[in-house]
Amino acid sequence: MTLSRRGFLGLSAAAAAAGLTGCGSRSSLGATDELTMWTWTGSVNDGLIEQASKAIQGSDKRLLMTRIGSDYKTKVLTSLAGKSLVPDIVAMNDDVATYFPNADQFIDLHTLGADDLKSQYLEWKWKLGITPENRMMAFPMDTGPTALFYRRDKFEKANLPTEPLDVAEAASDWDSYIELGKKLKKAVPGSVLTDNIASAYRYGLSQQRQRYMTPDGQYIGNGDHIRQVWDTSCRVIKEGLSANAQEDTTDVDAVVNNGRLAAFIGAVWWAQLGPKNAAPETKGNWRVCATPGGAGNRGGSFLAITKYCKDPEAAFAFISWLESAKNQAQAFLDPSLFPSTPATYEDPLLNEPDPFFGGQRIVDVFGESAKAYPGTYFSPYDSIIGTPLVAELVNVEVGSKTPDQAWRDGQARVERELTRVGAI
Amino acid sequence: MAVEALPATAVSTTPDHEPQGRFKKFLPQYVAISPFFVLFAIFGAFPVLFSIYISFHSWNGIGEMKWVGLEQYTYLFTDPQFWAAIGNTLIIWVLSTVPMLFLALVIANALHNTVRFRGFYRVAYFIPNITSVVAVTMVFGSIFSNNFGLLNAFLQSVGLNKIEWLSQPWGIQVAIASIVTWRWVGYNAIIFLAGLQAISADVYEAAKVDGASSVQTFFRITVPMLRPVILFTAITSTIGGLQIFTESQVLLGDTGGPGGAGTTIVTYLYKSAFVDNQFGYGAAVGWALFVLIALFSIINWRLVGGREKS
Repeated sequence: MTLSRRGFLGLSAAAAAAGLTGCGSRSSLGATDELTMWTWTGSVNDGLIEQASKAIQGSDKRLLMTRIGSDYKTKVLTSLAGKSLVPDIVAMNDDVATYFPNADQFIDLHTLGADDLKSQYLEWKWKLGITPENRMMAFPMDTGPTALFYRRDKFEKANLPTEPLDVAEAASDWDSYIELGKKLKKAVPGSVLTDNIASAYRYGLSQQRQRYMTPDGQYIGNGDHIRQVWDTSCRVIKEGLSANAQEDTTDVDAVVNNGRLAAFIGAVWWAQLGPKNAAPETKGNWRVCATPGGAGNRGGSFLAITKYCKDPEAAFAFISWLESAKNQAQAFLDPSLFPSTPATYEDPLLNEPDPFFGGQRIVDVFGESAKAYPGTYFSPYDSIIGTPLVAELVNVEVGSKTPDQAWRDGQARVERELTRVGAI
Repeated sequence: MAVEALPATAVSTTPDHEPQGRFKKFLPQYVAISPFFVLFAIFGAFPVLFSIYISFHSWNGIGEMKWVGLEQYTYLFTDPQFWAAIGNTLIIWVLSTVPMLFLALVIANALHNTVRFRGFYRVAYFIPNITSVVAVTMVFGSIFSNNFGLLNAFLQSVGLNKIEWLSQPWGIQVAIASIVTWRWVGYNAIIFLAGLQAISADVYEAAKVDGASSVQTFFRITVPMLRPVILFTAITSTIGGLQIFTESQVLLGDTGGPGGAGTTIVTYLYKSAFVDNQFGYGAAVGWALFVLIALFSIINWRLVGGREKS
């Protein structure tokens, strides 16, 4: 078909008219018998979504899921700000608390009977989706319990303990872990315990019961518990146990691949992002054991139902089905999401020996970690506070500031930012 | 032209024609030109005006917009990170634009004098410009990488120490500037080439007859004759250079790397608005950038084009 100019103009006019009248009147995205859901790549099990897209159990609706490629949060905020064509269900990452000031945009899941399911989930995870005003804004998906990943082959070479329980005993806290790192470095030159100072700090922070603010809005990010983590991560640098491979660069993969990273405190998802992706040939050499200094959690996501939802009951039925103990086992196999339901840790699917870890059953370590983790409070301002503090720590690693100077500058920046947003 | 002439006579013969009637009369013409204006109003003018509006507010994207008057701007002027971003941007701009325009001129001159494979060279030099910035940046990331970079491998192979390019301010800025240079040299060379080809051969012949050397010809004839083209490339490079974003963001992430040395004005804008969700502040940064670009364009204009008047 040849397209004449007139035909082209006519078509564009028709398309523009259709586009303009299409939106505006409806506030929820999708057809009336569809529930729409937004999430990012790798956050749900495809098989389960496939099932729900035919029919959602216990409702007359079916699911239409869209994977948002990049800038996920920006797109969610944009659709909420536009108040039109808002998806019924949205996924949220571990920055869930940044949505708290706008919790009224989401349905309080208490009203949909969420409390009946509470006992099936990790208590600390459940609490993270609830605002200080006791509004349940988000429902648990996966979690990110931490462990110590280490290269058994390198530990053997350095005459260090090699079995998970022994390593855990030898590195029970950060002090003994750093001592172990020093021995490792002496025996296997170039070995490091972390890719960069930011990782050491973030994982140290992930073990704390308190973070930057109290639930009633007080800033405590200048307290001893933060300073202690700060000093520990600076000590890792001082001992030469960091690879200086900065976050968001390809160097991070390189230090896994070239074997310098002989041990690393990481969350469960790091197994995939780190060694499995960046160094597949190290298969069989890795082991995991309990985190030095106690269980931590970093990452893990949530699902929320927007106030524009066509059918909140059906949406809740879907969410609770997708995140049931049985189905979270599926999500563990693909795409490696660690369940927030302790019952799943007993599931045979999770108890398969993992050949990448030399046949170790890693769920034992991560399940323990998830259960032992004490929980904490994330404030809406945690990312505003964390960003400048980590940026100042990087200055310590690259040698442009002393730990004290970086601490002072970081705190000054935080105070400025918090004053601006009216948080203090 | 003929179309324009016709309504003009029509108007002049009926001077007391009512405006409404006139609008009706020219309706087909208005409709014909309207798509551009309609689209521009929606996707150009509205966002621009709206960004002025939100720069006077505090807004997190979902909640209520709160009127704060000039507060965003007063914060901006006292924000050390903003001034650091301007400094970084200017350093990267100078580091990239100066070698870029110089190289482009040399390449254009060479291309102008090439006899064989002209088309091939032109395409070859232009290709970097149409290559995806993200892909290019990732390749450059591997070149400058601290741990496995090609550049460090080269330095070590000739017996020098390796340099942690992406861990120190100047290394980061050199890396970003080299991406910009690589990408835009060919583009500017093609523009210079077009300028060169527009210079009449007579002028060169006259210079030859007068016994000018090739260097003299270049500086006394080619460069002055190219001045409008140089002005164009200088202004477009300024506008582009002050808006560097992708290179820094892909290479170093939202924070601009160690010490924030890779934070440009636009990455700071992006971080403020889309990472920290402070849209009012992001808009204010955007307007500060606008003023800065206008200022630099005027300076360029005076420097490069100004002498023509005297």
